[in-house]
Amino acid sequence: MSKELSMALPFYRHVSDLNQRVWVLQGQTLIMAPRKANTVPVIVGLYPCPHLETLEKDRGKPMYLGLQEPQCSLLCTKIGGQPVLQLNERTIRNLYHYPEPEKPFLFYHNEVGSTSTFESAAFLGWFIAADSTGQSPVVMTQEVGKTFVTEFVLTTLS
Amino acid sequence: MRTPAPLLCALSLALRATVTATAGACKDLISQNKIVRVGQPFAWNCTYFPLTYGDVHVTWYRASSGTPLPRNISKRIHQEHTWMLILPLTDRDSGMYQCVITHSRSCHIIHVNLTVKKIYPCVGSRNRSLNFLYDYDQILHLGNSESLNCHMHFPDSCRVQSIRWYKDCEEIPSEQQKFIPWETKLFVHNVSAEDGGKYTCTARLVHPGNPGKRYVLVQSIRVDILESGRPGGKIPKIIYPRNNSIEVRPGSTLIVDCNITDTKENTNLRCWTVNNTMVDNYYSDSKRVQEGIETNISFQDHIFYTVNITFREVKMEDYGLPFICHAGVSAAYIMLRLPAPDVQAYLIGVFVALTVVVTLVLVIYSSFKVDIVLWYRSAFHSKETKEDGKLYDAYVLYPRPEEGSPCHRMDRLVLKLLPEVLERQCGYKLFILGRDGFPGQAVASVIDENVRLCRRLIFVLDPEPGSSSAALLQSLSEEQIAVYSALIRDGMEVILIELETVADYGALPQSIQYIRQKHGAVRWREDAMAQSPSAKTRFWKEVRYRMPPRRYPPASQSQSQRYTPSTCAAGKWQPTAGSLTH
Repeated sequence: MSKELSMALPFYRHVSDLNQRVWVLQGQTLIMAPRKANTVPVIVGLYPCPHLETLEKDRGKPMYLGLQEPQCSLLCTKIGGQPVLQLNERTIRNLYHYPEPEKPFLFYHNEVGSTSTFESAAFLGWFIAADSTGQSPVVMTQEVGKTFVTEFVLTTLS
Repeated sequence: MRTPAPLLCALSLALRATVTATAGACKDLISQNKIVRVGQPFAWNCTYFPLTYGDVHVTWYRASSGTPLPRNISKRIHQEHTWMLILPLTDRDSGMYQCVITHSRSCHIIHVNLTVKKIYPCVGSRNRSLNFLYDYDQILHLGNSESLNCHMHFPDSCRVQSIRWYKDCEEIPSEQQKFIPWETKLFVHNVSAEDGGKYTCTARLVHPGNPGKRYVLVQSIRVDILESGRPGGKIPKIIYPRNNSIEVRPGSTLIVDCNITDTKENTNLRCWTVNNTMVDNYYSDSKRVQEGIETNISFQDHIFYTVNITFREVKMEDYGLPFICHAGVSAAYIMLRLPAPDVQAYLIGVFVALTVVVTLVLVIYSSFKVDIVLWYRSAFHSKETKEDGKLYDAYVLYPRPEEGSPCHRMDRLVLKLLPEVLERQCGYKLFILGRDGFPGQAVASVIDENVRLCRRLIFVLDPEPGSSSAALLQSLSEEQIAVYSALIRDGMEVILIELETVADYGALPQSIQYIRQKHGAVRWREDAMAQSPSAKTRFWKEVRYRMPPRRYPPASQSQSQRYTPSTCAAGKWQPTAGSLTH
């Protein structure tokens, strides 16, 4: 069942970290790479999940995350016994309009100062992360504050 | 020793064939271009998520030679784990390199096109402005305290030492408060527009393959300063609703806007809820109450959002229930309430209706006052006589014509018509001087005695010029003292009858003018009274209206009797036998 909700468009953002790296798409993989003159950062779309009542409080704003091009969503699913981050062909608009919260696609967006963390709603304690140096894929980790970067900066498109 | 050219070509072809044979079944992943500086240490890690995770075998090739790079770490160009290392670059190193990733059942190739150039930051002013000289683009935000990063991505075997920072080719002193270098970063406090521009970081690299050598790494960074585009923890502001109630009738349609201002950076959900549930879910079956499509207007530093809630039909169950508009952590509600009865409109309506009714009654009464009063008297007259000590209903005062002068009109009215109508037809009892006085009695005495016994004073005025003005005044002068004293003393009401239209009231005595002004006058026209007089004509109605209400029936009994004079001495009117006296 599909229904019209209030937001016609998601929030569009660039995602970077505190090491001057940005989210870029390499093939079918989302990676963090140092920003260069020819770097094309991905445009990330965020739709707040409208099902406040069914989700955990105080973990942040539940969000569906996806890419604008190609249109896809971020999914946290268990492969080989471990939660991994994948790009999924479902659009965040579809998820936003879905009558039930789709937890594998949901991330709690928690803002601390100017940085944001994204915790999987399906696997609490697992965060979207990237290795702290060089060019590294965007993955899921539960090793917060170690070698992985879990704090990202969302910037509006200029 | 010089190798013959054909042999070299043959060898080269053979080697290429080897690479092709190796990579022939491999799938191209990506091809990347890299511009590097001569003399720099260079490292490139062959990673491709998720291919290079897990148990894979990575081999680096130089495309021109087709041979795998040596794994001897003391070689200038070698492979170390998944890395290709060139320590340092020479201008002969330009060309294609291939990283072949082989798995148990798959093979992939990453192509790297290396271009080595003799361009150094801060050397040669003519190249400074060219973008491609910059290794990295980095961004700082105005007003924030952020950091630049000297990206150095080398295998763990390498040690990076003494990083230095330059801005516009001038070394940044380490003791400066504004810039603080830490590890690979340069912290910039309170970023201002002047902090943008060209930065350079240098470092020395030590590699175990040649421990005594220091490789100098130089990176140029173009720094752009942007407006602060980061979420600043500002909470959205709900302008409306303001926890207010809305008056609405049951059954009506209602649309309420929620107006919100929020920063451009925030990613807040804006929605309407009721009983902790989104309204669209709460009314998912009936869809009677629904959230509207959100609209927004962007301003320089904030966005104005509007999201409405639509009640297709307000029902009784909606009243008193808070419908909450959320914007992130902010919330404000509206509550519906039944409209109060419109007391003001009701009062106005009643007032207008009363005014109309009263006006109507007044108009009717003023138009038909005489008829109404006369009807009332005839309908509700009392059989009992009111004992007020009076003998007569009216004292008829009129200018008596001089001896011998004809005044038929006056005589006709006073001596014939007044008795005929008021006494015979209506049953009143009149005292007419000249008719009812006793002969020989002094006029002043008669007046004084009888006026006191009368309820009204009928004052007949004949302003006809020449005939009676002088007589009027003359006769009045004789009586007026007594009459007026009676009026003042007893407060007697006066009925002024004018025989004709008075041309000039100013010519009349002031006392008459006063009476006329106070009590009005009834005009009598002789020609209109040519027929037999009737109490039902307008003139007589006017006179009767001014007369006191009759307390006893005049009709058949009186009319059957022949008029006889009566005496004022008796306490009650009694028809008595007697002759008409003049």
